[in-house]
Amino acid sequence: GLLLGAATLKNTLLEKDAGDSVEDELELSAVRHRPEGLEQLEAQTRFSRKELQILYRGFKNECPSGVVNEETFKDIYSQFFPQGDASTYAHFLFNAFDTDHNGSVSFEDFVMGLSILLRGTIQEKLNWAFNLYDINKDGYITKEEMLDIMKAIYDMMGKCTYPVLKEETPRQHVEVFFQKMDKNKDGVVTIDEFIDCCQNDENIMRSMHLFENVL
Amino acid sequence: MAAGVAAWLPFARAAAIGWMPVAGAPMPVPPPGKHRRQEGLIMLNVSGTKFQTWRDTLERYPDTLLGSTERDFFFHEETNEYFFDRDPDIFRHILNFYRTGKLHYPRQECISAYDEELAFFGIIPEIIGDCCYEEYKDRRRENQERIQDDEDMDQTNDLVAADLSFRETMWRAFENPHTSTMALVFYYVTGFFIAVSVLANVVETVPCGPGPNRVKEVSCGDRYALAFFCLDTACVMIFTVEYLLRLLAAPSRYKFVKSVMSIIDVVAIMPYYIGLVMTDNEDVSGAFVTLRVFRVFRIFKFSRHSAGLRILGYTLKSCASELGFLLFSLTMAIIIFATVMFYAEKGSSASKFTSIPAAFWYTIVTMTTLGYGDMVPKTIMGKIFGSVCSLSGVLVIALPVPVIVSNFSRIYHQSQRAEKRRAQKKTRLARIHAVKSGGANAYLQYKQSRLLIDLDEEASKEAGQALVCKANPGFEVHHHHLLHCLEKTTNHEFVDEKTYEASYRDVTLVNQVSHSSSTSSTSSPHGLSSCCSRRKRKTFNVPNSNMSVGLQGSIQELSTIQIRDRPFTNSRSSRSSLNAKFEETVPLNCDQSYITAAVISMPTPPGTTPEGDDSTSSTNYSQANIVRVSAL
Repeated sequence: GLLLGAATLKNTLLEKDAGDSVEDELELSAVRHRPEGLEQLEAQTRFSRKELQILYRGFKNECPSGVVNEETFKDIYSQFFPQGDASTYAHFLFNAFDTDHNGSVSFEDFVMGLSILLRGTIQEKLNWAFNLYDINKDGYITKEEMLDIMKAIYDMMGKCTYPVLKEETPRQHVEVFFQKMDKNKDGVVTIDEFIDCCQNDENIMRSMHLFENVL
Repeated sequence: MAAGVAAWLPFARAAAIGWMPVAGAPMPVPPPGKHRRQEGLIMLNVSGTKFQTWRDTLERYPDTLLGSTERDFFFHEETNEYFFDRDPDIFRHILNFYRTGKLHYPRQECISAYDEELAFFGIIPEIIGDCCYEEYKDRRRENQERIQDDEDMDQTNDLVAADLSFRETMWRAFENPHTSTMALVFYYVTGFFIAVSVLANVVETVPCGPGPNRVKEVSCGDRYALAFFCLDTACVMIFTVEYLLRLLAAPSRYKFVKSVMSIIDVVAIMPYYIGLVMTDNEDVSGAFVTLRVFRVFRIFKFSRHSAGLRILGYTLKSCASELGFLLFSLTMAIIIFATVMFYAEKGSSASKFTSIPAAFWYTIVTMTTLGYGDMVPKTIMGKIFGSVCSLSGVLVIALPVPVIVSNFSRIYHQSQRAEKRRAQKKTRLARIHAVKSGGANAYLQYKQSRLLIDLDEEASKEAGQALVCKANPGFEVHHHHLLHCLEKTTNHEFVDEKTYEASYRDVTLVNQVSHSSSTSSTSSPHGLSSCCSRRKRKTFNVPNSNMSVGLQGSIQELSTIQIRDRPFTNSRSSRSSLNAKFEETVPLNCDQSYITAAVISMPTPPGTTPEGDDSTSSTNYSQANIVRVSAL
């Protein structure tokens, strides 16, 4: 009985120690992921105070810890595309939003990205799109990268499409894209080629303004 | 789509810019931008408890009450908030649903109250989160079963005897022996014959001493063959008649023939007929003997007489999967151990384990810890495996048994609860009736007073007015007026229970003391109420209820009271003054505001009615040839 009592006492003490360290960790992490103040964000982005409030509330509701990791990001994005598989595209999106590449998207990252997409200049938007396509961030879009992106986009459609999705459709689409974009036919698309080409394309220009009143 | 995610729609739309450069075709026009969404808090006042939330939170679910324009109906201008006269405790959970996207079910709330709130706020219960869904479904199922039980009971009690065809009466009599004396008699007679038949089967195999011409002992069946044969014939005749009657009376003959009980009936009486048909052929009579075994199935006919047997049968049926598992695991174990034992004992001489199937018997006897000892292992290996076998047997059997037991216990308790509810229902309804008839009383008093005011101006005016003023706050007045309008509409009048019963008895009109009774009643307001006084009702009710319990067999059951056409004479007080109204032949409506599960006794002998009653008023009632009582 005495031995048992001693053992349990030791155990509780040890647990307490472990608990303490875990709590410390938690505290640190909680502190780490609080966003900067409202004024700073207002200055850095083109959103008004109210818009930032709305955005943050939605953000925090879905991610109470203050950061989105890739899994959650994929989950959320997939819910908008129930018929297909949005995880690949979400992965690329995540990388585009996660500008400091630390594996998680904080509220600042999120709001910066949105600011560009919704309130940025055409140049900024095109820049962002280029960044999205350039998977390895080396400044060039290769056919393989474009193919990955294209496949990811087509995956979101799912199986039940009309006309039926064929294997070579993404590849064909990539060919068309490269024909349009790759001016010097060197097999890659640089940022300048990309921006130039898009600015000359009426459809693309018009579509850039599509989501301006989203918020 | 979870609503919280709806807040991320702007993000998803913004991210679509990533598709633009890739797209070949022009994009569709975006839908017209929403009007500047009103950003703001909404105040919700639920029975005094204030809740506040963002407007957007509520509008996440536009197909519910709070998320749509339907909430505008509850807007309260003076306080600039939305007021709901509902339960604030449950509302808390509903509001949390908007906030978190998950609906939880609080365990301490009543399931029907919760369901009502959900229905009111337009939320479908299937959204309940996984954490609480199981609990919710279980409680709901229990509630449904309870309601189903009550309904079944009601149904069986709701049909009025005379309305049913003879066939339906017979079927009800078969299914529920307490409905009439005949049914009860039939029930006991069949029960008796089942017992007799089973007993005869048993006794006829008992050795009865040496036969008349023999030395050897013979069984009673052979010695008194004729007696037993006659007994058997009688039993089978009764069973056949019963079966045919049931078949005749069954509402769905096909369903009846398929049912288990009917199969048991057929199996019980078939051997006899087959025996009659078969000749004394040697080969066939062997089969005939085995057929007689089926006579023992007659004992299953008792399950109609015993609820416990039915429960047991039902339990076994519902535990079919556990039983199956038990059987399967036992079979596996038996085969394994039999094989092992056979090979272990193969070496020993004169071993009883001649083959594996022979070893089955040993395994079964050992695993169930019977241990007859007719087969025992002799080798050491055999003994070792034998002991392992008996130990494992205990385990394998002990495991599924508690599941079956708990199932049985649950079903048994459920049926007990159902019985308890049924028993409590009668008293409960009686109390509710007493309370409601208070309301009816008030109306009848009011009517009395009004009629008296109409007819006997001078004398009764004060009394009547006094009564009216005393007994009628605002709501009552309007309510009574409403009932009066109904009376005028339907050309029927409200009367009380006593009057109805008296009239239903079809007592001849007794032209009595109309005036005297009326004067006596006008003199005192209390006398007025004597017609429908609770006091009187109580004294009358007591013998009534006693009778209903005691004379079940002899009373014609009326569960709901119906409207009949009978020549009526107007109710007490009006009759008292208006002889002219005797001629009215319009049946009356009686204000019985309950569907009684109680038995309304028909044959109340006239003598018992005036027990302890005021003779004048009782005769008043007996005069009323009024009938019906409709359930209001």
